[in-house]
Amino acid sequence: MLRIRGGKVYDPANGVDGVVQDIWISDGRIVAAGEAAVEGGGRTIDASGMIVFPGGVDVHTHVAGGAINFARAMTPEDHRRTTAFIRSQTRRAGLGGMAPTTFATGYLYAGMGWTTVNEAAVPILSAKHTHEELRDVPIVDKSCLVLMANNEIVLDLLEQGEVERARQVVAWQIWAAKAYGVKAVNPGGVAAWKWGKDAKEMDEPVPGYNKLTPGMIVSGLAEIVDELGLPHPLHLHCNNLGAPGNITTTLETMRRLEGRRAHLAHLQYHAYGGDDWGTMRSETVAMAEYFNAHPTFTTDAGAVLFGDTVTITADGPWQHLLYKLTGRKWGNLDVENETGCGIVPYTYRPNSLVNAVQWAAGLELLLLIDDPWRVYLTTDHPNGACFWRYPEIIQLLMSADFRRECLAKLSDRAKERIHLPELDREYTLGEIATIVSAGPARALGLSQKGQLGVGADADVVIYEEEADIVRMFGHPRYVIKGGEIVVEEGEIRATPHGREFLVKPDYDASIVDYLQPLFEDYYTMAFENYPVELERVEGADVRQCTKP
Amino acid sequence: MPSLTLTLKDQPPVPLEAEVLSPDTLSKLSRDEVAACHVFLGKRRLRLDEFFAVEGEPGPDLELRGDLRQVKWIGRGMTAGQITVRGSVGMHLGAHMRGGAIEVHGDAGDWIGAEMSGGSIRIHGNAGGQVGAAYRGSNSGMRGGVILVDGSAGLEVGMRMRRGTIVIGKPSRDFTGLQMKGGTIVLLAGAEIRTGAWMTRGTIISLAPLRLLPTFAFDCSHNPVFVNLYARRLAEWNVSLPYSVQEGCYDCYSGDASVPGKGELLIWRPRSAGSLG
Amino acid sequence: MGGKVTCTLGEVKNRADFIIYWGGNPAECHPRHFTKYSLMPKGKFVPRGRKDRTMVLVDIRETKSVGAADIFLQVKPGKDFEVLTILRALVKNQPINESMVAETGLTLEQLQDLVDRMKRAKFGVMFFGMGLSMTRGKHMNSAAILTLAAELNAFTKFVAMPMRGHGNVTGADVVMRWTTGYPFGINFSRGYPRYNPGEFSTIDLLVRGDCDAALILGADPGATMPQPCIDHLAKIPTICLDPKVTHTSKLARVHITTAVTGISAPGTGYRMDEVPLPLRPALKSPYPTDEEVIRRIHEAVEKKPDWIARNGQTTPAQIF
Repeated sequence: MLRIRGGKVYDPANGVDGVVQDIWISDGRIVAAGEAAVEGGGRTIDASGMIVFPGGVDVHTHVAGGAINFARAMTPEDHRRTTAFIRSQTRRAGLGGMAPTTFATGYLYAGMGWTTVNEAAVPILSAKHTHEELRDVPIVDKSCLVLMANNEIVLDLLEQGEVERARQVVAWQIWAAKAYGVKAVNPGGVAAWKWGKDAKEMDEPVPGYNKLTPGMIVSGLAEIVDELGLPHPLHLHCNNLGAPGNITTTLETMRRLEGRRAHLAHLQYHAYGGDDWGTMRSETVAMAEYFNAHPTFTTDAGAVLFGDTVTITADGPWQHLLYKLTGRKWGNLDVENETGCGIVPYTYRPNSLVNAVQWAAGLELLLLIDDPWRVYLTTDHPNGACFWRYPEIIQLLMSADFRRECLAKLSDRAKERIHLPELDREYTLGEIATIVSAGPARALGLSQKGQLGVGADADVVIYEEEADIVRMFGHPRYVIKGGEIVVEEGEIRATPHGREFLVKPDYDASIVDYLQPLFEDYYTMAFENYPVELERVEGADVRQCTKP
Repeated sequence: MPSLTLTLKDQPPVPLEAEVLSPDTLSKLSRDEVAACHVFLGKRRLRLDEFFAVEGEPGPDLELRGDLRQVKWIGRGMTAGQITVRGSVGMHLGAHMRGGAIEVHGDAGDWIGAEMSGGSIRIHGNAGGQVGAAYRGSNSGMRGGVILVDGSAGLEVGMRMRRGTIVIGKPSRDFTGLQMKGGTIVLLAGAEIRTGAWMTRGTIISLAPLRLLPTFAFDCSHNPVFVNLYARRLAEWNVSLPYSVQEGCYDCYSGDASVPGKGELLIWRPRSAGSLG
Repeated sequence: MGGKVTCTLGEVKNRADFIIYWGGNPAECHPRHFTKYSLMPKGKFVPRGRKDRTMVLVDIRETKSVGAADIFLQVKPGKDFEVLTILRALVKNQPINESMVAETGLTLEQLQDLVDRMKRAKFGVMFFGMGLSMTRGKHMNSAAILTLAAELNAFTKFVAMPMRGHGNVTGADVVMRWTTGYPFGINFSRGYPRYNPGEFSTIDLLVRGDCDAALILGADPGATMPQPCIDHLAKIPTICLDPKVTHTSKLARVHITTAVTGISAPGTGYRMDEVPLPLRPALKSPYPTDEEVIRRIHEAVEKKPDWIARNGQTTPAQIF
C-alpha cells in the first residue's frame, strides 16, 4: 500500500483540476481511501506543496525496431557527446542522445514521468525485432502500431475493391505483428518509392497501380480499423510530409475521413503553405480552424525544437530529398512488400527560414487547437526533437513571455511566415496534464492510463512546483509506475518490466489460405516464421476490440 | 623549482587511461593531490602514484618520463601549458586539445590530436594512424592547431580535417587527407596510396611524388604565393618548404572528382628533375 | 557523407533487374543466394526470373560465379577503391584522368558502360563480399560501394548490402546496437559503452595484447584470426563456449560444451538483411544453452563486490 498525501492533483479525466487530495495505491492500482485503510501498513509520500499528475503517455514515438536501430548505428558521434548511463546495481549501461539505447530509453522516459509509450511504426516482417527491443525498454508500458498503407497485399486488394478480404488480411496482420493498432505512412508513397517515385496527390493513381489512389488507401484503412473496432483509430502520417504547400493535401485527406475517427500524426509537418522552400509559411490557422470544427479527429503536434537530431521515418522519398538537401548521411531500408524507412541526421537552426516555420508551426497547433483533449504533446521523436526535451515544449506552452524571448531570435522574414507572435494563450497545469497524459491515453483507448480514478493503473508523477518549468518537468520528485516507486530524488530506484498492449481483432481463419500462397510468391521466408509468437512478447496484455 | 615530473614505474599490463595527465587538471593541485588522482587500468580506478613516481611542483609545465606506449589520453582536451614526454606515448594524445603544447621525444600511437581545435603537438618519432582525424562518424576532424611528426604516420592522416596544419616528415600510409574539408597537410616524404581520397577542400603539399587517384586532374605547374607564406610559418618549426622558382615548381592537381571536390594537391618537382628546367 | 541504402532480400527477389556481386564468390560461398533471393527467382515485377535480370560480377579472379554472370569485370588486386571512386565520378559526369584508369585492370569504356547500365536499371543492387571489405582499404572500400549506391538514387533505385560471414553475425550486430548504440568493438571498462574500431575491435585488442582474459562465444578465432591473436589467446585465460571441439576450444583454459543454437536451443537469427527469424529447436541436448551458461556466469559474478560502485564512478562524464 502506498499513500500520496496532500498533493495538488491534476487528473483531467476525472475533472480534478488542482485539488489537494490523497491518492491511495494498492496492488499496482489506484484504490479508494477506505479500501486501502483496511489493508494498513505501507509507505506514505508527503506530497504537500507538490503537483500530482497521471503518468505521461506518448502517443507517437520511435524507440524500438529496425529503423531506430539503424539510426543508432549511423550516429556514433552523438553517442559520444550524450548522457552516458553508467551501469549500477539497478541500472544497465546505455547511452541517451538522439537515438537512445533501449535501456536508456526506459530510464529517460520514466525519469521525466512518462510511463506509457506507443512505438508508431512497425513492419510485420521485422516485428519480432521490435518486440525484442521493446522487451529491453524497462519501466514503461508499451504498445506498437503496424505499418499498413504500403503493404502490397493490402494495396492490391484495395485496388481490386475487395474491402472485405482486405479487412480480414489487416486483422490477421495486426495479430501476426502483435500490434496494438494500424499506422498509415505516406499512403502509396512508400510503395512508389520502391521505384524511386512518390505519391503526392490524393486522387492520382499510385505509381505501379492502375486505379488505386492514396485517397482510396486512406479511406479504406480508416473504414477497416473502425469495423475491426480497434481501440485506437487509424494513425495517419499524411502524404506530402514536410513539403511547402502541403496543407492542401492534408485538408483533402481529412475531408475524406470526415465523420470517422482518425489520429493525424505529427500535424506540424503537414501544415505548410507556400510554393517552395523560399516561400514556405505556416498555415496552422487554417489547419486549426478546420480541425476545431471536426471533433472525430485527434492529432499530435510533432513539434520541432532547434538543435541536432536524427530523422527517421517510413517516408523513404522524403528522406532521400532531405539527404540531397543536407548532404549528410543517409540510411534507407526498404522492407519487402510492406514498407521502408529512411534515416538522415538533421540540425534545426533558428536562422533557417524553413526550420523557423517548423518550430513555430508545432507550437501554433498546440495553441490554436482549442480542445486539449484532441492535440497531444509529441516531437515525433526523434524527428522534431528528442523526447527527453518535452519539458522545453511545456515551458513554451505555459509562458507567452518565454515564447516572445525565443521569437526575438528569429529573423523578421521568418516572423512574417508564422502566427506565433500573435498568440497569447498560456497552458494551465490542467491543460498540460491533458496533452501529456489524459488525452493521449484516451486516444489510444487505454482507459486505465492517463487518469487517477479508482481502478486506474497506479502510474503517478509528483513534481516539486517551481518557477523553472523545464527543471520541474524534467526532474520529477517521484515517479510511480504500477504502484512501484521507480524514480525518487532524481534517481532511478527500480526498473520493473513494463507490459505490452496488443489487440486480437476477429478474422476468419481461412484467410490464411488466401495469404499463404501470395506470401510464398512474394516473400523470402517461410510463412510459419512470419507471425510473431505470443510467447515472444514479454508482458503481453491483449486488449479487447469493441465492435461498433 | 623543478616542474612536475611523473615517471612511469612499471609497464601497465593492459592500457592505462589517464586523461588526468594534463596541466589543466594537475597544475592546480598539490603534489599529494596529484599522486591521488585517478587513472583507469582496464575497469579498475587506481591512484596515479601506483604507476608514476611524482616529483617536482605542479605548474603549467608537465614532464612525463618512461615508456608510456600503454598510456592513453595524455593531454586530452588541454587548453594551456606544456607537456613534455621523454619516451613514447599511447593512443589519443592531445585529442580534443584546444591550446598549449605537447612535445614527445619518442613515438606516438593512433588518434593524436584527433578533433583538436588549437595548440600544437610535436612528435619526434613516428605517429600512428588517424593523426588529427575525426572520430568515427564525426563530421569533422581537427579544426585548428598544428601537428608535426618528424617520423612516419599511419592510415587516414587528417581524415575530415577542417582547418589547421599537419606536417609529416617521413612517408605516411594510405588515405592521407581522406575526406579532407580544409586545412593543410604537408608531406615531406610523400605517402602511400589514395592521398586526398574524397577530399572536398583543403590543401595537401607533398615534397615527394605521389601515386594519384584517377579522380584528380592536373591543373598547372607553378609556385603559388601562399606556399611562400606557408614556408615562412613552418620555418618557425624548423620545417623547410621549398618555394623559389630557382629550386623547382609544384605540379597542382585538383579533386577529388568523385565528390566532386575542390581540394588541391601540390606535388613538388625540383628543377633538375622536371622538363621546365 | 556516406550512409547506407539497402533493403530486405525480398525486394531484390521482386524487383532487382540489375545485380552486381563485388568481391565475392556466391556460387560457392553463398550457394542459396542466387536461387532464393537474387538471380533465379521469378519475382513480382521480374516475372521471368533470370531472363529479366542482368548480373555483373566484379572480382580479382575468375571463380565459379563467373559462369552465372552476364558481365565479368576483373579488377587488379587492391584496386577496388579506385574503381569505385572512378564510378562515383562517372555517375556525376565528372572528368577522369584516363591515363590512370588502366592500372585498375579495366578500361574507361567498360566503366562507362557499367555506369550507363546502372543508371538504366529500374532497381539495382550491389552485394559485396569480403574480397572487397577485407582487402586493402577495408572499411573505406565498403564506404565506397555504399556511397556509390546512395548517389545512384539521384538517377534510379539502387541499394547495396554486405554478404555477411557465417553464424549469426548480423544478430550480434543488431543486439549490440540496441543495447549499446554501437555494432561491435565496444568497451565497457568505464561503465558505459564506448566504440572505436581499431582500438577496441577484437583483432586489434588481441594483436596488441590489450586484454588479459577472453570469453569466446559463437566463434572460432583460433581458426580464423591472425597468428598473433591466437598466440595471445593461448597466453591468457580463455574461456570458450562451443558445442564442438574447435581450434579455439583446444587452446582455451576452459571449454564449456553448449547446445547447438537453432538445433537444440531456441532463439532468433538475424538474416544478412536484418530480417529476424525464429529458431525453433528440433532436438533436445544434454548440454546447457549459451544463454544459460552466460546467465549462470553472470549470477556468480554479481555476487562479487561491484567494481563500479567501488570505483565510485557515478558521474557520467564521457571521455570519448
